[in-house]
Amino acid sequence: MKKAAAIAGFLALLALLVALPRLVSSYKLLTYTRFLVLALMAQGWNFIGGYTGYAAFGNVAYFGIGAYTTGLLMIGKWHVPFFPALAAGALLSALVAILLGLPILRLKGHYFAIATLGVAEALSQVADTWDSVTEGSTGIDLPLKTEGEFFYYTALALVTCGLALTWAFSRSKLGNGCVAIREDQDAARMLGINTTLFKVIAYALSAVFAALAGGLTAYQNIHVTPGDFFRIDYTLQMIIATIIGGAGTVLGPVLGAAVYQLLSTYVWSKFLELHPTVLGLIIVLFIVFLPRGLMTVLGSKRQRGERPFRASDLLANVRAHRVT
Amino acid sequence: MKRTAPAALLTFALVLGAFPALAEDTISFGAAVSLTGKTAKEGEYTRDGYNFAVETVNAQGGIVLGGKKYKIAVKYYDDESKSESTAQLIEKLINEDKVTFILGPYGSAPSGTAAPICEKYKIPMIEANGSAESIFSKGYKYTFAVLSPAKLYLKGLIDLVMSKDKSVTTVAVLGENEPFSKEVASGAADYAREKGLQVVYQELYPTGTQDVSALLTNIKGKNPDIVLGAGHLQDSLLIVKQAKDLGVSPKAMGFSVGPSSPEFRANLKSNADYIFGSTQWTEALKYDGSDPWKTPKGYAVAFRAKNPKYGDIPYQVAESSAAVIAFCRAIENAGTLDPAKVRDAIAALDIMTFYGQIKFDSRGINTFKPMAIEQLQPDGHKYTVFPSSVAEKDALYPMPAWDKRK
Amino acid sequence: MGGAELGQIFVNALLLSGILALVALGFSLVWGIMNIVNLAHGAFIVLGAYITFFLHELLGIDPFLSIPVAMLALFTLGWGIQRGLINQVIRAPLLATFLLTFGLELLIVNLINFFFKADLRSVTTAYSGTGFTLGTVRIPYIRLGALAVSLVLVAGLAWYLKATRTGRAIRATGMDLDAARLTGVKVATIYAATFAIGAGMAGAAGSLLSMMVPFDPTLGGGYTQRAFAICVLGGLGNVANVVIGAAIFAFVDVFVGARLPSLSRAVTFAILVLLLILRPQGVAGKRV
Repeated sequence: MKKAAAIAGFLALLALLVALPRLVSSYKLLTYTRFLVLALMAQGWNFIGGYTGYAAFGNVAYFGIGAYTTGLLMIGKWHVPFFPALAAGALLSALVAILLGLPILRLKGHYFAIATLGVAEALSQVADTWDSVTEGSTGIDLPLKTEGEFFYYTALALVTCGLALTWAFSRSKLGNGCVAIREDQDAARMLGINTTLFKVIAYALSAVFAALAGGLTAYQNIHVTPGDFFRIDYTLQMIIATIIGGAGTVLGPVLGAAVYQLLSTYVWSKFLELHPTVLGLIIVLFIVFLPRGLMTVLGSKRQRGERPFRASDLLANVRAHRVT
Repeated sequence: MKRTAPAALLTFALVLGAFPALAEDTISFGAAVSLTGKTAKEGEYTRDGYNFAVETVNAQGGIVLGGKKYKIAVKYYDDESKSESTAQLIEKLINEDKVTFILGPYGSAPSGTAAPICEKYKIPMIEANGSAESIFSKGYKYTFAVLSPAKLYLKGLIDLVMSKDKSVTTVAVLGENEPFSKEVASGAADYAREKGLQVVYQELYPTGTQDVSALLTNIKGKNPDIVLGAGHLQDSLLIVKQAKDLGVSPKAMGFSVGPSSPEFRANLKSNADYIFGSTQWTEALKYDGSDPWKTPKGYAVAFRAKNPKYGDIPYQVAESSAAVIAFCRAIENAGTLDPAKVRDAIAALDIMTFYGQIKFDSRGINTFKPMAIEQLQPDGHKYTVFPSSVAEKDALYPMPAWDKRK
Repeated sequence: MGGAELGQIFVNALLLSGILALVALGFSLVWGIMNIVNLAHGAFIVLGAYITFFLHELLGIDPFLSIPVAMLALFTLGWGIQRGLINQVIRAPLLATFLLTFGLELLIVNLINFFFKADLRSVTTAYSGTGFTLGTVRIPYIRLGALAVSLVLVAGLAWYLKATRTGRAIRATGMDLDAARLTGVKVATIYAATFAIGAGMAGAAGSLLSMMVPFDPTLGGGYTQRAFAICVLGGLGNVANVVIGAAIFAFVDVFVGARLPSLSRAVTFAILVLLLILRPQGVAGKRV
């Protein structure tokens, strides 16, 4: 009964999302597209950072690879259409992630984080100096595409697929294995889980999502430069979105992306010079009161049919995580 | 809860961002300039330049169109010195704030990002702070720049030194790896070779570099007559500081960006002496224009009266004002607010202003206005020293070695 | 590259390692003891730079003399931030504290930008850029002084952690939180002290940097990243490791910068990743 209601609600929301381009201005549509693109990246990061517990800090590398592969294939001498080019970018990213993942996924914790960061920084400079292929810091320009709906629907379709995939992942042997690795890698290995294989798959999945987001953003922004598409901000944003929503949950990354994107867009337009302060303050308050993300409040209370978001819950959160 | 939370957020989002409609007799411009981040200072210059021109034009009655007077209003956003924000903000200005025209952002990278967006919506943009020719090599029809292209920045400096000293033979060029500086550096090196000089060092360093001692040590070993830097203010300051640290003393040292800014002297004190800087505009230049201020001097006096915090006026301020003037004239020439017609009027524009001639080549960049060279001299002032026809003072050459100064 | 040039580059790298060690020192302490990667570390460095700048500009105080002032101010701020905010979430998942410091960084940098504007500043004294020549090698006084100050502070911190009661409590808390608590250590206070010392060291680094590089509110981000890399290279858990990490970073950066400036960061990070794969516990760290 409850399940049916949930499905009905979900379909209603989906219908609203599909109808959205007819309801809002094209700039608002762009904001929603940005939110979907961020959701896509966060969904990807959730596989490696959320479920598997590996703090990947360089996923922007795959965003950049996706953007450049898509762009270069579209404007090169073959003039590949967008979707095959996008797929090629995703594939190449997966390949790079597998090859890199094999050595660096042996590292743990912060050491893994800095290795991924290092890879992203190195790739950014390669794109910056490899003039003959990437035109270096000057950047490349993709063909003009003006229909905002195209980008919105593509992003919506990808995020919906991402949700389905995450849902299936979280119920699969693979997903459970990844969670086991997060909780205790040695124990997971003892249980017969091929930890290397599982970690590499999760990492490659995250790369594919980032590459799709990168390719789509490249086509929408038209102008692609290393400075823009290898910027660490993208990595930070996907992590922030996932944490705000709830790492290692199916809906968390999408929810977190919505909150982060809409809040920052709002703050941006209302506070001309102090918007980073306001955004920083919001993040600080969020972490103090909801350090495990929105889904923990929404998710656990739903079971008991209680009202979420009581002040006492927030205080309990603080009590649970402080030292005295 | 899974259902209502996203739905509530969506509703929340739908009500966001509604701006009051502008009054009817106003022409609305939009600009996304950097107010925070790496180029926040230059962004501030840009905004001050736009605002000053807009206030002046409005005070004189505004733009006259079919006998009716229109005031100008500018809507600003902060691009945080990140060009990916520029794309989003230009979309916002065009789609949401419904601005009629776009004034450019600060810097070549964001201008390169803004150009295709303006092209997409066929909204004309005149920009004042992005001179990389890569922006204008893509065939975009709606982007125009009032300033001289990047590759010309250091040309005058080479000419100046060669006119002073026939014996110079070697040049070292170091530049920041970003679209504008890259073109400045290669333009300078190409011109030096063309003039028969030997380029003994030519390298790019990554943006955000905090230590150039390795590059300078290399350059010192090659002992060049001229050292040219193509980067931004921060880089120029760092290069001078570390050149003194390491005793790198060429006969002339000059930068594309930095010396013209008041902060250059404020940071380096007397170490700034003898350094050359290229500039798009100085108040010592001699132009007689048809704009509200007519001459560079007239502009400078009026600007300082309105903005007392300024001493020297950075050229970014002047070129930003010039972009506004170019827009006003083009709109009046077009006699309509129709973007395509205004675009054609901009392309056909040829006016003399306090900033120099404003005229665009077929790509949309102003190749008709010359660059000038300034030098910081030991009396604590900065003088325009090239072209010689407008020079306030003779250039001091050669630069004395660091350890030979008092 | 001639011999003279090689000698100069070697000295450049040596002088750079000093300041980088100080940049990473506080970061390493906070990370090692509390498992917090403090993204606001760079913002603390910037604050230190501004304190020194204004004391020099307004009161004419020599920048080297203002180092203790910057340290004390940042120590106090660090104490407050740890007691007031970070201690509230320290037992939440690792990335939560990480994000908290990210939020703080945004906030501090933006407030500096708002109050002091984005103007580039540097502290220029009568002795700026002066130095002496050793054979063919130039040694600037300020960089040499910065190296000396860094070494004194590194040694001072090492002594403090070994020889004092609070220092030993800090190390004990870092090794085993529960055991430390059982012996009567007040963890919240010890954490506040650790974070405050880390911030104080950042303040000192900022003071020194204000004399060496032109800075604006955004200076810190790059140094947080460098501190991160240095800690990984050197390994955590020992003050000496920071010095080793900083030296490796400085030498790679300067030598690659001399040959291939446009790819210097790529090569530096590639070496970093390779080192990590070969020695995941850091070059000097012990295997755990």
